Amino acid sequence: MSARGRAIAAVALRSGASAAWRSGFGLRPRAERRRAVARALRLACEALGPTFIKLGQLASVRPDLVTPEMVFELERLQDRVPAVPVDAIRDVIRRELGAAPEHLFASFDPEPIATASIAQVHEATLAAPYRCVNGRLLEAGARVAVKVVRPGVARLIADDLAVARRWAERAERIRWLARWGPNALLREFESSLARELDLRVEGRVGDRFAFDFADDPLVMVPAVVWTHTTRSVLTSEFVDGWLLSELGEAERAGIDARALATHGAEVFMRQVLVFGRYHADLHPANLIVTRDGRIGYIDFGIAGRTTPPQRQAIAQVLVATAYGDAERALRASRALGLEVPEAVEPALRSGVARLMRAHLARSPADVRGFVTGFLGLLAEHRIAIPEGYGMLVKALVTVEGVARAIDPDIDLIEASKPFTTRLVAAQLLRPERLRERLPAALRAALAELMA
Amino acid sequence: MRDVLRFLAAWALVHESADEGWRAAVTRGAGLSPGDLERGPDDFVDGLAALVDAEKERLKRDLAADGGGVAPTEGASDRRDADLTAALEAVRFDLAELRGRIESLQTSVDALHAERDD
Ligand SMILES: Nc1ncnc2c1ncn2[C@@H]1O[C@H](COP(=O)(O)OP(=O)(O)OP(=O)(O)O)[C@@H](O)[C@H]1O
Repeated sequence: MSARGRAIAAVALRSGASAAWRSGFGLRPRAERRRAVARALRLACEALGPTFIKLGQLASVRPDLVTPEMVFELERLQDRVPAVPVDAIRDVIRRELGAAPEHLFASFDPEPIATASIAQVHEATLAAPYRCVNGRLLEAGARVAVKVVRPGVARLIADDLAVARRWAERAERIRWLARWGPNALLREFESSLARELDLRVEGRVGDRFAFDFADDPLVMVPAVVWTHTTRSVLTSEFVDGWLLSELGEAERAGIDARALATHGAEVFMRQVLVFGRYHADLHPANLIVTRDGRIGYIDFGIAGRTTPPQRQAIAQVLVATAYGDAERALRASRALGLEVPEAVEPALRSGVARLMRAHLARSPADVRGFVTGFLGLLAEHRIAIPEGYGMLVKALVTVEGVARAIDPDIDLIEASKPFTTRLVAAQLLRPERLRERLPAALRAALAELMA
Repeated sequence: MRDVLRFLAAWALVHESADEGWRAAVTRGAGLSPGDLERGPDDFVDGLAALVDAEKERLKRDLAADGGGVAPTEGASDRRDADLTAALEAVRFDLAELRGRIESLQTSVDALHAERDD
């Protein structure tokens, strides 16, 4: 075993032992045991560094793969890491962009504004004007954020993945582990990580998002400065304001918090239901309320996708959920791949109805509580969660979290009712739906006319 | 969507006197506002009937205006303008995105040159 392999095994053993201790060696109640295991896993990921922190973050948006306890524990993963000395950052910039930051920018702040497991962000100002993809001109002197991949991270991740590959091979030969398809999972994870290490991907997703929302005056997406962007360096317009995670009463007083939170929820609905591309890991550290009261979106790491038929079904699920119709919500979920055996259908339906009454019928609605209960219910009935469905359900909770960070009293269900209802009404009028829903007489007449 | 409505409108126009039920649906549907789908499919059909009826009136006017010819109507040319603008925006974005990619690649090439010449 390599040195890194041994280090990983040691952390795994230690956290396994700690989880065993905290769960009373399996004697505590099941939910408590699961929570203990989830916590141990989160701490282990934090101890093991970037590869595992990213793995944890990816798992946290996949309730189809891990238990609900794990989903909600892993989203708390923190990647507080010490800053990389600015000279090392300068070297990366010189290698990637061909000159030292002092030559490329009018100014470059040696103090980072943020450090994370994969990258570090510095503030700078442009030396020359730049025309962005959306056509806007950034003047010379404009403030920009320069995100730089930490030196050595790519190497470390490659080493970790080599270890993981050997373990996955072994796990594939152990029956109860093979059920999870460790090799396939690892490959999926590798491709997500590769995308995340190439900052150009993030830049392009951002530009596309800005294009989709060009007509929305409340959405701000920093434009990318492509002449100063490569695989390991991403230069983008600086978003000036307050991170949602730091938004306090004083800042809230200066903006229309309710309207902005509602708008944030609508933006998400539009992403999911209209454009088919959505932020799967929005969190309050990825969003900035700008000084002029707009929402700035800064991180485009994990994105979900929806196809047109899925969008229709999702809209139905959302409306049914908003109006507390368990039966319809489950029926529409079927179109999204949720397979409910007939025998458990009545129990599931009444379970969902109960959750809806408990969490959604009160004011403000508690989407998080509802989703947690719902995922638990599915696990209890051993119903497999389709990948896209799980990601979406989780994303909804995230959106509630984000909206609450702007306006603590917001009711996500109430806020999204007008939008989803409008959308479903429009959707019902689509040609492909018409055929389904027109009364037989009208259909026959049409058929005759077209013959 | 508009094409389907137009089609249904043409059908309704030809069958103007035909169906009492249809007329009643139009009247009920005209009273609905978007999102009112409490009664489910029935409301939906009423709403649709009202939409088709509105389109039918437009179609009648168009037909009267150009003496029954099939020349494009004012509404249709507005629509085409909107479609063209959207298509133009989309291509402009693709082009600008491509320019971004090229700028980024050029930076990488320049950087490699600089490193070799060091
Ligand atoms: N364009 C920008 N304008 C202002 N601040 C920015 C900008 N881009 C990044 N930041 C700051 O840097 C921090 C980290 O940026 P970002 O989320 O893109 O990095 P990350 O490495 O992907 O982080 P994470 O691991 O949390 O996803 C942000 O929380 C924000 O404080």
